[in-house]
Amino acid sequence: MILLDINNRVVEETLTVKIKNSQTGLKNESIDITVADFDGVLYHISNVNGDKSKIRTSISLKFYKQLQEHGADELLRREYGSHLITPEPGYNVSVLLDLEDIPQDWQGFVKKLGLLKRNCFASVFEKYFDFQEKGDEGQKRAVIPYRDDETLYVEAKADRVTVVFSTRFRNEDDVILGKVFMQELKEGLRASHTAPPVLFSHREPPMELQNTDAKVDNNVGYVTFVLFPRHTSKATRDNTINLIHMFRHYLHYHIKCSKAYIQSRMRAKTSDFLKVLNRARPEKATDKKTMSGRVFVRRD
Amino acid sequence: MSATLKPYLTAVRHTLTAAMCLDNFSSQVVERHNKPEVEVRCSKELLLTPVVISRNEKEKVLIESSVNSIRISIAVKQADEIEKILCKKFMRFMMMRAENFIVLRRKPMEGYDISFLITNFHTEQMYKHKLVDFVIHFMEEIDKEISEMKLAVNARARIVSEEFLKRF
Repeated sequence: MILLDINNRVVEETLTVKIKNSQTGLKNESIDITVADFDGVLYHISNVNGDKSKIRTSISLKFYKQLQEHGADELLRREYGSHLITPEPGYNVSVLLDLEDIPQDWQGFVKKLGLLKRNCFASVFEKYFDFQEKGDEGQKRAVIPYRDDETLYVEAKADRVTVVFSTRFRNEDDVILGKVFMQELKEGLRASHTAPPVLFSHREPPMELQNTDAKVDNNVGYVTFVLFPRHTSKATRDNTINLIHMFRHYLHYHIKCSKAYIQSRMRAKTSDFLKVLNRARPEKATDKKTMSGRVFVRRD
Repeated sequence: MSATLKPYLTAVRHTLTAAMCLDNFSSQVVERHNKPEVEVRCSKELLLTPVVISRNEKEKVLIESSVNSIRISIAVKQADEIEKILCKKFMRFMMMRAENFIVLRRKPMEGYDISFLITNFHTEQMYKHKLVDFVIHFMEEIDKEISEMKLAVNARARIVSEEFLKRF
């Protein structure tokens, strides 16, 4: 499991079970589930007004307002069409699934619901990829505060789109591990000719973000992806969006995995050292038992 | 084993064997106290001259001995940032388990990464030559382990980034 899934398995599985139960004629039961996802995203699956056949899947994103500015609403309308309903209070988007009117291609629909978060994100990227295709340079950069102190910047130029992530390392050791990973990522270009160039700067924001309120701090790293037309074309853009918007989680996930691996190695080595140390203790003379089970005591 | 490691370890082994000549000795200052003299340091005549054996600037061993205890402090090689954090993590991990390690000191001496405190009670309970073996084994293994962990982290980083970029 090197790459993380972009869809939400819990949402997909819950809905699949619901639809299957309804198709086999079982009685619909009420549902109320809250699921968390990356970036502080919350899914809420519930019934509308106690009607057990209507299942509403809602999503809440802290930065939905910024996404709306970049056309999230249109994209979601395109994806979910008439299933989109007025958002549940406290959530940003709600999609309705009617168990009495299950869509023909319900597998595809469930899959789409699992991608709700990804689709919210996609709007920003699609908009800027379009700008790049049209050669529109005049647009100001998009700023999406996708986590509390981490921000995503997207900017379009005539020949490229730059995506900058700011990411915060909670721990000083993570900074160093992160640097190792980023160093390899920089050099990873040699492995694949189609990959976009990746730049990494620690502490200081890259040139594009100078004179903005981008944080300068010891625990902040900036990762820049330079996407060329071959990444932003209509055919490949979905794949690019899938990869790019998961990058932050991918990086942090693997930093954590490395730490877990180091920890397990240390544990093994420490017990090895203990064994060596315990060899220094003279063995205790153990009691010898006779055949009948009595303790044999030497008398001399 | 590299050319300089062997004489280094041999020197440490001989020094330790010679220094580990400990006797039960009650405190001369406080009645009914029996403390490791190398730690309390209240009577000068009970302390011996400390010895530093160093392989290079960064790798060295400080052996301080006294009448009833010796303290061995080891500085581990740390070539770069990643080795530094690995070493720090590892030592912290071990020192949190100091009660299992009996001879391990909970805090290292300043300027060193890890310290052992061996008292006369330890040498009475355990074989002296095996204790020396333990310290030497520790020194041998720690360098190996840290560089292996570093390689593992690098290898992971490489695979992870290649896998990611391949997808584009």
